[in-house]
Amino acid sequence: MSLLRVRDLHVRYPSEHAVRGVDLDVEAGETLGLAGESGCGKSTVALSLLRLLPRTAAVSGEISVDGEDVTTLNWGRLRALRWARASVVFQGAMHALNPVRRVGEQIAEPIRLHDPTVTAAQARARVADLLAQVELPAERARAYPHELSGGQKQRVMIAMALACGPRLIVADEPTTALDVVVQAQVLDLLSGVVAERGIGMLLISHDLAVLARVCGRLAVMDAGRVVESGPTGRVVAEPAHPRTRALVAAFPAVGEPRHRRAPATTGEPAPAGVDRVGGELLRVEGLRVRFGDTVAVDGADLDVRAGEIVALVGQSGSGKTTLARAVLGLVRPDGGRVLLDGRAVPARGRGLREHRRQVQWVPQDPTSALNPRHRVADAVAEGLRVHRVPGDHAALAAAALAEAELRPPERYLPALPHELSGGQRQRVVIAAALALAPRLLVADEPVASLDASVRGEILALLLRLRARLGLAALVITHDLGVAWTVADRVVVLRAGRVVESGPVERVLTDPAQAYTRSLLAAIPRARWASRPT
Amino acid sequence: MSDAPVVVAVERPRRRRLGRYVAGKVGGALLSLGLIAVLGFLLFRALPGDPVTTMTRGRPVSAAQIAELEAAYGLDRPLIEQFWSYLADLARGDLGMSYTFRVPVADKIAERVGPTLLLVGTGTLLAVALGLWLGTRSAWRRGGRFDKAATGVALGLWSVPTFWLGLLLLSWTSGLFPSGGITYPDTPPDFWSQAVDTAHHMVLPVITFVAVVYAQYQLVMRASLVEELSAPHLLTARAKGLREDQVLRRHAVPNALLPTVTLVFLHLGLVVSGAITVETVFSWPGLGLLTFEALRGPDLPLLQGTFLVLAAAVVLANLAADLLYRVLDPRVRAS
Repeated sequence: MSLLRVRDLHVRYPSEHAVRGVDLDVEAGETLGLAGESGCGKSTVALSLLRLLPRTAAVSGEISVDGEDVTTLNWGRLRALRWARASVVFQGAMHALNPVRRVGEQIAEPIRLHDPTVTAAQARARVADLLAQVELPAERARAYPHELSGGQKQRVMIAMALACGPRLIVADEPTTALDVVVQAQVLDLLSGVVAERGIGMLLISHDLAVLARVCGRLAVMDAGRVVESGPTGRVVAEPAHPRTRALVAAFPAVGEPRHRRAPATTGEPAPAGVDRVGGELLRVEGLRVRFGDTVAVDGADLDVRAGEIVALVGQSGSGKTTLARAVLGLVRPDGGRVLLDGRAVPARGRGLREHRRQVQWVPQDPTSALNPRHRVADAVAEGLRVHRVPGDHAALAAAALAEAELRPPERYLPALPHELSGGQRQRVVIAAALALAPRLLVADEPVASLDASVRGEILALLLRLRARLGLAALVITHDLGVAWTVADRVVVLRAGRVVESGPVERVLTDPAQAYTRSLLAAIPRARWASRPT
Repeated sequence: MSDAPVVVAVERPRRRRLGRYVAGKVGGALLSLGLIAVLGFLLFRALPGDPVTTMTRGRPVSAAQIAELEAAYGLDRPLIEQFWSYLADLARGDLGMSYTFRVPVADKIAERVGPTLLLVGTGTLLAVALGLWLGTRSAWRRGGRFDKAATGVALGLWSVPTFWLGLLLLSWTSGLFPSGGITYPDTPPDFWSQAVDTAHHMVLPVITFVAVVYAQYQLVMRASLVEELSAPHLLTARAKGLREDQVLRRHAVPNALLPTVTLVFLHLGLVVSGAITVETVFSWPGLGLLTFEALRGPDLPLLQGTFLVLAAAVVLANLAADLLYRVLDPRVRAS
């Protein structure tokens, strides 16, 4: 009998028919991967398995978890089933943990809830045991969530999910927002638990490469339906449905020559434009930045030539964002220099303002970067106002939107951010940067928060901007695939120091340093060697 | 709180950080108190009305006599000189002599602090308890009949003038409760009789006080809990198999209480001065009534004294809120 059996599941919200007839099966000892873009209904499926959807959702169809029909259980039996027989590793452990309770208490809570005979001391011992299983020291039980790193929080979440010895684990995007190395550790941990305990897991992700690393079978969802399913190797190597093909193409294989400077795009193919690389534009020498007693950047050197795209890669906490902020003139270095055109960046005054105009920032998450009450026209023209650029701001803003390929600009100028898609919002942010005619773009994880299908479009835009305007870019990313797709050179940062730098082709295929090799090894590599394009 | 510095993963001994934090907050409070002392002097000199004129009202006085009185109270000296002697006295703990009562201001305030603390303390406890309970129920069934009724009533009462509500209660209960004062003069002096009589006198002032102020606690708690109820970690709690009331009791309410507690403490300082109207309507012999009496003079030393005490209460309550929040919320402790 399967641990999880879903037949013809439908979920209707008042405004939307979110899930339209989904069938799923998970057997003991097996991991099923559920893939899809945001809004395809995959998280709704996850929540419906334990009847955790809001009251307004109408659920129909058959859901059986470990032999119990979840849809008809009374509330008491349902609560007994929750966590004891099926538990959930939620998306974003930061928010899924109570911020003001010690994590040990939170892990112990379901243990004592489902078995009131367990004493406080026994529960503490179990918590220490569970923490050891997720490779955390027992004294971390006394920590509050904010005292833990992203990977540690996710480990706590997994320890919590294992607390009552469930038969089924539902993991909803468990590694989103973690860097590659930590992501690999968390995925290994989850698959280890499944193999060791012979339990079943439903792993949900938008990243096909993550699923391919762990899952034996895959199901791909689109618009509330499963459009394709089967053994991972077959689905990834011979995707039948266009949606699956898009997901496969969105995560390029590092080292695969066909993916080099070729982001997946439905528009015009991205030109290489390498021939436009000119003289040195930006130079960072021995940069040091400290916060209190913590050294964030510890003597880093870096240079970007005109028309060149340089990728700055590293794990979370390696200092790459701080380095970028120093380049933008937002953080004052404690040592070393930042030079633009061979001139040191002034620490204050008009010179610093002019530097900030020439070096523009593209932040990570366009949704939080845009003021929800500012129209696109205002958002794009704001920099023009701040820098008192002469000329017709409305016309300049429209031209910038056209440059960012939001055409015709008149259609987007009066829009509010919530009326746009994620990819369109990122284009607005890029247009706001372009409006000031910068010479260098500093893009902090420009595609990390975007859906698979728009990642390629935004990366292609960066390549086209370079070809058209000769615009140089410093792209900060933890994703080596992004570096492989757009960058000319790559700089590997670790603990505030540059470990290795050089042409992408050399560093990412034949790294000289062990650390770079370990980053490459951590990339979830799907088992596809060749695939139709 | 928002003014706490954001430090990125600084490894530093906890105790040293705590010491610096407490020292900063206490230093800030002391600075505020100093500014209040200066303001207390200037503010009441800007008031209309002349103390000597009021003292001699209705009596034939010559210019010489007025000058003599002014000299006796030091009112003839230049303002800056008066200010320095005020500061020097204050430093010694001497608040001066009251013009109207002709006793030291410090003694008069000491005599009136007890009744105010009794009234305000009881009233605040009841208002906080009532407000938090109603706010929690309102948020739990947001938009329901209870929520609409409770929020409407609270807002209605909040907008009622205190003195008017007090008079209304007096006329409605007509004679059931004493109309003013803290005890009857003929009550036996033993503790129990005095306590029962004081409680009897307290009923109407406390009801008036609670009715007018509980709304703010209710609305703050409601807003805080409504926000907390959409927190993703409550979904985790439900998935763990907790009952809805356990989710509320263990995870939502304690977290929602954190900002509410701070607000309760911030308001605590203000309610001491807020008792002025209640005390005046019910002739409750507390600091509020004393301030009201001092204003009629104006009895400058007495006004300065009560102003200092009431303002200090606000500063100390703020300090308590800052320190308490740090104890309660581990996230603030870390930063």
